[in-house]
Amino acid sequence: MTRRQLKLLLALLTALAFGSGGAQAQAPRRVESVERRSITIDERLAARANLTIGDTVFIAASAGSAGDTVVISGITKRGADPSEIARSEFRVRLHLDHLQKLTGATDRVGRFAVATRDEPAAIDSAAAGINSLAFGFRAYRAADVAVETSATFRVVNRFHRAIGVITIVASAIFLLCITLLKVDERRRDVGALRLIGVSRQTIVRAVVLEASLISLIGSAMGAALGYVAGWIVNWHYQGVYSTPLKFAIVTPSIVLFATALSLGLGVVAGLLAAQRLVRQAPLDLVGR
Amino acid sequence: MLLRLALANLWRRRARTALTTAGVAVAAAMLLDMVMLGSGMRESFRGFLEQQDYQLRMTPRGTMPFDSEATISGANELLARVSADEDVAGVAPVLGGKFFVATGGDSIVAGFAVGIAPRIQADYVIAEGREIEGPSETVWNGALLDATGKNLGDTVRVSAGYDPQLRRFTGTRDLVIVGRGRFVMLSGGELAGAVPIATLQAMGGPEREDRISVALVRLRDGANVDSVAARLERNEPRMSAISTEAALRFVDERLGYFRQLAIILASVSLAVGFLLVTTLVTVSVNERIGEIAVLRAIGVARWRIVAQVMVEGVALSFVGAVFGLGLGLITAKWLNGILASFPGLPAAFDFFLFEPSAAYKALGLLVLCGILAGVWPAWRASSLPIAKTLREEAVS
Repeated sequence: MTRRQLKLLLALLTALAFGSGGAQAQAPRRVESVERRSITIDERLAARANLTIGDTVFIAASAGSAGDTVVISGITKRGADPSEIARSEFRVRLHLDHLQKLTGATDRVGRFAVATRDEPAAIDSAAAGINSLAFGFRAYRAADVAVETSATFRVVNRFHRAIGVITIVASAIFLLCITLLKVDERRRDVGALRLIGVSRQTIVRAVVLEASLISLIGSAMGAALGYVAGWIVNWHYQGVYSTPLKFAIVTPSIVLFATALSLGLGVVAGLLAAQRLVRQAPLDLVGR
Repeated sequence: MLLRLALANLWRRRARTALTTAGVAVAAAMLLDMVMLGSGMRESFRGFLEQQDYQLRMTPRGTMPFDSEATISGANELLARVSADEDVAGVAPVLGGKFFVATGGDSIVAGFAVGIAPRIQADYVIAEGREIEGPSETVWNGALLDATGKNLGDTVRVSAGYDPQLRRFTGTRDLVIVGRGRFVMLSGGELAGAVPIATLQAMGGPEREDRISVALVRLRDGANVDSVAARLERNEPRMSAISTEAALRFVDERLGYFRQLAIILASVSLAVGFLLVTTLVTVSVNERIGEIAVLRAIGVARWRIVAQVMVEGVALSFVGAVFGLGLGLITAKWLNGILASFPGLPAAFDFFLFEPSAAYKALGLLVLCGILAGVWPAWRASSLPIAKTLREEAVS
């Protein structure tokens, strides 16, 4: 990439990152200054444009507008912010007055962060106080902003739960079908056991116990598979979206829930299959 | 004959056949949903873009339409230059911005203002009332009408900005609401109103004078979209010319997660359906090896045995898939309802778009699975040693 191309790219990226108002169309030009201001860029931009700390670059609010030559003083890592997922912009950070000058937004800010006293009630009273005085702007609790910005994840979470419900239905049918087949395979054995005096109850218990054991072993294998799949999912999407966010986490409560569900399904499937078997006469079971 | 025998075998074990069919139906439903999800988002978005009937969108360099607050200056000259291109049939300018409506007391409703050229705009369709004709007329969407309690025919005082130091609104105009519009590209619940672009520019003062956010470009029939886009970008270095395909690539990038999830879940559904049918057919063959050996002993050809077993697998898959298609449409509607609240997407955006080709694809894949599922048990059944099997079955 030539230096001119790099300049244009950075001009473009800066406009993307800050969504600034456009400037008058001019040919790109270099603004000389005795002491250069510094900026930080994110690691994705550094990798993409092959930039490193100490490099000098030209930035502008929009392509073709007046800008400034600056020095890269730092490379930032992307934060674990759900609202930034799937947004592919590069981030450039400048001093506030520098950005105001570059974008022509003199004495303007996008938002303030206000630190309150360390009391839960102080947040609400400060927000109410600011809102009663405010004109044209509004104070929000940081927690509310966090909820709002994670709306994407909440929707995805609900979608995942719905997929989970469908999967559970499919698993239940699969488990019942397999249990039925397994029990049916031993019709003659069960018939023989019944003929030598083993009670129906004992056979039902044995079948349910077997189904429960299979469910428990399946749950353990599923948890291990889930852990490995979660690791692969995190590795893949953390790379795709350049974020330290974890997309899939296997927690003890999830493992417990899955095991309990699997055990419940196993017991029900075993009961249904066993009841179906013990209702028949022993001689029918042995084929006589 | 083959089909009758296969169906009779399935009927003999009704409970397990019903369960397997139910399992295949759920797998087919999931498969259909994922096929619909995989292509639905793209086609739905394409529908929105093509509905506007403009093939190119010109935005400030490096930005997507309304993805930032960037605007472009010298709009009139720019529009004249673009219109002069031999392949351009029309250009519709659009300016975006905030606006504020005082609704009595201290209550202020803020919304998204779209400055448009009324006769050639493609941002909304009139649902009630009429299109804007004069400079002091406006069209609002239902959400904004509800939020402000206003009706068609009302005159409203609208401002483009505010001065916090003087505590007063700026760029204030009295506008008449002449129509209720359905804004094509806005997300559900977003408050929006359209005004003539010249009015919005004037309301914004010097900061908005002769500026636009996007120019929609309609090309002449037969024009090559990519070459016109490249030429316009070359002639206008401050602008990006985004074709429908480029916009779709952007959507793909943003919603790529869902496409990948669709591929994974579709594969899992296919695998589950395959395993279910294979298991049932294998067990069914194991139970009937004596019968099969007798059939072979009395001269039934090997291929007939293979065909009968495979028909069982295909019949299970086909019936399950047919039920699954119906179930899939119901679950797709449910899942679409969940994803409808996805932030930043048009209200009418469909994640699950039904296309007959998607249904055929899902059905075809499952029937193929059914055929493959029958291969192993069919081969096993046809290659049984006849005498040995008969002896073992007779002894047992």
